[in-house]
Amino acid sequence: MSLSTLTKPWEAMSYGFLDGSAKRELRRKILKSVAVPGCQMPYASREVPMARGWGTGGLQVSLTLVNPQTRVKVIDQGADDSVNAASIRRFIARVAGTPTTMDTLEADLIQSRHRIPEEILREDQVLVLQVPNPEPLRSVQPNMSIARQMHADADYGRMWLQLYEQIVRSGRVMQGASYPSLVHGRHVMTPSPIPRWDVPKLHMAKHLTILSAGREKRIFAVPPYTRVEPLVFSDVPYKIEEHGALTCTRSGTKGFFMNEIPQDDGSSAFEVSDSEWGVKTIRANDREAETRGETWYKDGEMPQ
Amino acid sequence: MLATPAPSSSETRDNTAFDALLWALSRPGLPRSLPEPGEASIIAALLDRECRVHSADPLLMPEIMRTGAELTDIEHADHVFLGTMAGIEPLVQIATGSDFYPDDGATIIIRARLGTGQTLRLTGPGVDGSVTVQVDGLPDGFWAARMSHMRYPMGFELFLLDEDQVIGVPRSTTVEVL
Repeated sequence: MSLSTLTKPWEAMSYGFLDGSAKRELRRKILKSVAVPGCQMPYASREVPMARGWGTGGLQVSLTLVNPQTRVKVIDQGADDSVNAASIRRFIARVAGTPTTMDTLEADLIQSRHRIPEEILREDQVLVLQVPNPEPLRSVQPNMSIARQMHADADYGRMWLQLYEQIVRSGRVMQGASYPSLVHGRHVMTPSPIPRWDVPKLHMAKHLTILSAGREKRIFAVPPYTRVEPLVFSDVPYKIEEHGALTCTRSGTKGFFMNEIPQDDGSSAFEVSDSEWGVKTIRANDREAETRGETWYKDGEMPQ
Repeated sequence: MLATPAPSSSETRDNTAFDALLWALSRPGLPRSLPEPGEASIIAALLDRECRVHSADPLLMPEIMRTGAELTDIEHADHVFLGTMAGIEPLVQIATGSDFYPDDGATIIIRARLGTGQTLRLTGPGVDGSVTVQVDGLPDGFWAARMSHMRYPMGFELFLLDEDQVIGVPRSTTVEVL
């Protein structure tokens, strides 16, 4: 053994920004999180040139997975063009030399903040979700050691109690985003703050979903073809947002998750949240080539 | 304008190896291709000084030592290389983690022959319905010993290696011997 076999040639910067040890840590923990779906795995979250809480967990996963052939799409609340999404996309392209896209169907890796695209993801695609608060039990048990014990015991009674109290107090479940969901019949996870509209898309999906919280240093995953069931009482069915009948004022598309835009006269206009879906619809309206893929929701309803 | 970063050859190899392992574990039973035959690319992609490793195959030692990983006995190892297995004794000593920290369960790499021998039916997360695979070269009673040693979410992950082909069997997968 000589010194030259112990070192690597000099490089100005590690490919993909993260150094080798950071990538190996993420690789090991991603494998474990895929093996135990929905279970939060602690990992050594590294510094990236972005403030914690702005998608550092998702960014670390993306940087570990990418190679120069990976086509990357980044969305923030459904939009490809928001500042956060554009900055992360440009950063990944700059440090890893990856091609980028806004088209869901062209992407190999989709990093997302709080939305799942409306078009059905394929078996070879990876969805990376940024997670601000990975612990579904935090609102009912702030002590994380006790929360870990509750996960170990599959003791989710307090989650049910919380939902029950919301129904008693308000007549319906008030949880709007990060709806607690049971994964593979064992671990309750928060699906990151995606709207209730998006949670059924994770159930038995074809794609791999990796959820990573950089600030909280935890990672969990939903492999393809895995059960993801929102916690519901048998007599109070799960309700998605009532957006099925809304029409986008810009593209005219109907039956997808919408952003509500308040108007001067007190009414609201609606705009489709998945911005690229809106763009594709406008192109189709202008009689350009059809580029829209199949969607999870059809006519505002999720087929059973 | 910044130069486009290009991955080094070792980075490309590690990335490809991990991609194969990730998809092998996400889609149990479906073979994936490692960048080269043997365990070397797995060792380089996963192991470093944070790891405790046990190897039953002495030929892998130089490769493992180069990563700086600590060598340890089988029950304390988080990565176990069993080579070609002669008996099922090592299997019952493998760390399965705890209900608190299921991630302490080990990752096992075993040499086997894929496409011949015993027919297995896999079901569970990552499997669309069920998938059947043929695996040869594992000792008798292997799958029964695996099942009795694990209690979900405690358990270990298996990678069955045949030259450059690898299939993954995570702890969440139910294996039936047909």
